[in-house]
Order: sequence, then structure tokens, then C-alpha cells
Amino acid sequence: MGAIELDGLTKDYGEVLAAEDLTLSVETGEIFGYLGPNGAGKTTTIRMLLGFIKPTAGTARVLGNDIRDRKALIDAKRRIGHLSDDQAFDEQATGAEILDLHAAVKGGDRREELLEMFEPPLDRRVREYSSGNVQKLGLVTAFMHDPDLVILDEPTGGLDPLIKHQFAEFLRAERDRGVTVFLSSHILSEVRRLCDRVGIIRDGKLVTVDPIESFLTRSGKVVRINSADPIPIEFVDLEGVHDLETSVPDDETADPESEFTECTFTFTGDINALLARLPDHEMVDVSIEEAPLEDVFLRFYGGGEDV
Amino acid sequence: MFEFARYDARKRVRGSVYLSLGMSLLAAFAVWAYPSYSEAMDMNQLRDAFPEPMIRAFNIETMASLEGFLSVELYMFGWIILLGLYLAYSAASIVADDIDRGRMDTLLSMPVSRQRLATERFASLGVPILLVNVVTPVVVLVSARLIGESLSVADVLALHLLSVPYLFACAGIGLLASVVFDRASIAQRVALGVTFALYLVESLLRGTDYESLGALAPMRYFDPNAVLLDGTYDLAGAAVLVGMTAVLLFASQAWFVRRDI
Repeated sequence: MGAIELDGLTKDYGEVLAAEDLTLSVETGEIFGYLGPNGAGKTTTIRMLLGFIKPTAGTARVLGNDIRDRKALIDAKRRIGHLSDDQAFDEQATGAEILDLHAAVKGGDRREELLEMFEPPLDRRVREYSSGNVQKLGLVTAFMHDPDLVILDEPTGGLDPLIKHQFAEFLRAERDRGVTVFLSSHILSEVRRLCDRVGIIRDGKLVTVDPIESFLTRSGKVVRINSADPIPIEFVDLEGVHDLETSVPDDETADPESEFTECTFTFTGDINALLARLPDHEMVDVSIEEAPLEDVFLRFYGGGEDV
Repeated sequence: MFEFARYDARKRVRGSVYLSLGMSLLAAFAVWAYPSYSEAMDMNQLRDAFPEPMIRAFNIETMASLEGFLSVELYMFGWIILLGLYLAYSAASIVADDIDRGRMDTLLSMPVSRQRLATERFASLGVPILLVNVVTPVVVLVSARLIGESLSVADVLALHLLSVPYLFACAGIGLLASVVFDRASIAQRVALGVTFALYLVESLLRGTDYESLGALAPMRYFDPNAVLLDGTYDLAGAAVLVGMTAVLLFASQAWFVRRDI
């Protein structure tokens, strides 16, 4: 049995179908990325899983408990950690007071250990907190009771890069201890660093569920090449080149139809085949980056719709 | 159990101290003003000089005694209107403000039922209600002694005790508004509006064909005049207020549990 099982989960607001017939299973002990553009239905799904809103059809089980069974879900929350996408605490309280309340209600065995890692300013009132500090306090509340399942909605927004890195390591260590993590994000690079599998949601529909490797292979890289001298266009006549755009400077005598000094394309082929060709030319700059999530959606799942 | 009640109660202490100080000042001022009024004019004439709607609205029986004067100036105005509205207003933010500011998800991600959360936070209003009703009667009795007037200690204490269920009932109106409306500002306005409307219904329709409408108003079941002037304690009225509070609390819970947040 999975830690989370969605079974035809649907939320129909009448004018908007925020989640449509979602069915997927998150295995115990994996980090599952729930990926989609803003407004795709990620937060709606999570809020249904935690009982904040009721599904209009279908259901889900969290740690084996049907989310329609209010009492069972409340009991299950002793073993669930949650970080909301818009984490907010009582602004008048200090961080320490917030943690005391959480500890009294659900336990706080790991509080000190987590505070060493995330360090929100405990003596200050929450209204003086930066958004990063609110997020850190939220991460402490999400993990302090040593939950078996953690549901994180856009967890790294507002964290600085160093903390992000620490957080990624922490999350992997938790996974290795057997904790299940369900993590939503609209940032592909975040998911690729963290997740074992990803589910893609768009316009309330689940588009695909893939292991992260196959997803990344399919999603491709954005390659930018800037060469000193014009390169024949055949250079990029490779399998896996999409959306090719080339240009030459105006003052060059090169023929823009057959040569380029600058080019950009999305590459889903073997990166080694591309790299093997580079030394033949004098390069000014080369960059190979993760494809933006929006482009991935457009290429594989979307067609021309707005993302 | 009671973690949320304790947490909220602590947060309410400071405000409750200020509230008690404010109401004590009002009380001391009313007592202090009474002798200069009663020496300067015939207090029965003063009462009759009020327009009829005001006599009705403030349920002015007599102002020719300190009891009658306090009943109008302090208890009708300060307790029934001001404190009643204040508690309805405060209770209106119990749920709505947390939803409004996105804090409710954080609270409900803890293993706590919505019923328990709403009830415990509602119960924390006991802090201002009790504190103001402990401090003010002391101020009233001491300042009456200082101006050489004697007040029945039992009646003053009974009045404050009987105001506790009244104030909880007003808070219940606020709580219901708080679970029905998402926006704290709307819930607060509705709570103020409904509480004040009930007050007007009860006081202005008294003695008319529509008097029975006032049965819905908490104000019908708490009468400072009866306690201070006649020394009668309306325990049945207090029981109705307790029942009213319970109904409002259960209705709020039922609504809160069923709604999406």
C-alpha cells in the first residue's frame, strides 16, 4: 500500500475544474515530485489530502486513511508533516511560542536538531520575520514530530541557496530513513535535485508519472552556442535538436542561411555527441541548461495552450 | 487537550488588562460624576428630559439613585452595548482571520479537529470576560464607598456574574459570523451589525406588537435594573443565555466542520 493513494480525486468548483480524476500512488519511502505550472491544481490536491477542502468526486488515502473519514485523518496527522505554499503563523507570537504550541499538540522530539539546521530567529515575533525565516520556521514545524509522511507545497521558495542545499541533503537523509515525501513545485531544477519520481499536473489533469531519469531525458536541455567564426549549419544537424534558432552578426559576411555564430536549441539527444563536435570550432561561449518547465510542457504535453 | 485555549488565553491577557482598566475608568467616572449631577438637578427631571426612544433604548428606570444611575451610565451603555459589541467583534476574528491570513492551514495541519479548535479558541474569550468582571465591581464598590454612597455588594457581584453568560452569548454571535465568512473584516462587521440590531430590536420594540422578536436578543435576558434596583436575579434568563451560547457554538462547529477552507 502506498503512503498516498489518489483514486479519481476531483475538485469541481463549478466554473473551474481544479482537479480532475487524479489517480496516482506514492510509495512509502520515496520522494515524489508533484510538478506543474502555477494554478495547475497542485495546492488543491494537497489541500484535499489534508482535509482542508472536500473532493467533489473520488477520494484518496493518506497513510492508509480515507480522507473522507475526518476522525481517521485527524489521527493520521500525528504522523504527517505539512508545509503550506503560503505558510503563515500568528504574527504576534515569537517563533518559540509557535513551536511550543506545535510541540504541545503533536510532539517535538526533533525540534532542537532541526533548529540547528534551519535557525529561524526564535525570540523575535513572526511579524518581523522575512519570508525565508517564515519558511524555515515552517520546515521545523513540518518535521519536529518526526512524521512518517511529509507533504511540502513549494518548500524551497524564499530559502537562500545554501539552505536549499542543506534542505536537499536533509530530505534525502529522511527518505533513506524511510520517510515518504510528497513535494510540489513549479521549478524543474528543484524537482530534479530532490525527487525519485515525478507526476506532472496541468490544468487539473495528471499528465504523466515518470521516474525522474526518464522525465529528464524527455525534457531535454537548452543549448546556447556562441562561436568566434561562422559555423556551417550542418553542425547542429543532430538527432534530438528542437526549436533551432540561428543568427549571424549584421556586419559579418556570413550567409545566415547556411552559417551561424550564435544559436539556441533544445536538445533531447545524447549530450556526448554534441560535445564531441565542439572542439572543431573556436567557441566564445557555450551553455547547456535545464529546459524551462514551461517549454517542457509545451513540447511534450501541451501543444499551443497557455502554460 | 486545551493547548489552543491556553495559547489563545495567554495572548488575550494583555488586551484584557487594558479592557479592564478602560471599563474600570468608565465605572469610576460614572460613580464620581453621580453626586455632582444629583446635587445640581432633580434626577427624576433629568430622566424625564430624555426623549422617549432614549428612555426605551437605555431602559432608564430611574436616575435618582446611584444604582439607577450606574445601571444606565455604566451597565446599559458599558456592559450591554460596549462590551457586548466588543466580544461579538473579537469572536468574529477567531476563525475568519486565520482563514483570511492563511494561518488556518498551518493550524489544521496539526492533529486537531475543527470543533476542538473553534471551541478552545472561543473559550479563551473567558479571559477578557472574567477579568473585566472581576476588576470592575471592585472599582465600583470602592469608589461608591469613597463618595459616601452604599451599594449592595451582593447585587453588584451578582450583576457582574450574570453578565458573564450575556457576554458569551454575544461572543457566540461573533463566532458564528466568523465561520460563515472568510474575510475577517466582513465577519466583524456582520457580528457588530447583528448584535447591535438585536439590541435595537429588543429595546425599541418593547411594549409594541413586535415585542416577541426581542426574544432572540441576548439583551432580553440580562437586566441590570432588575438586579441593582430590585435585587432580583434572573437565573432563568441566565440559563437561556447559556443555552443560546451553546446553540451558537454548536451551529458554528457544524458549519465550520462542513465548509471548505
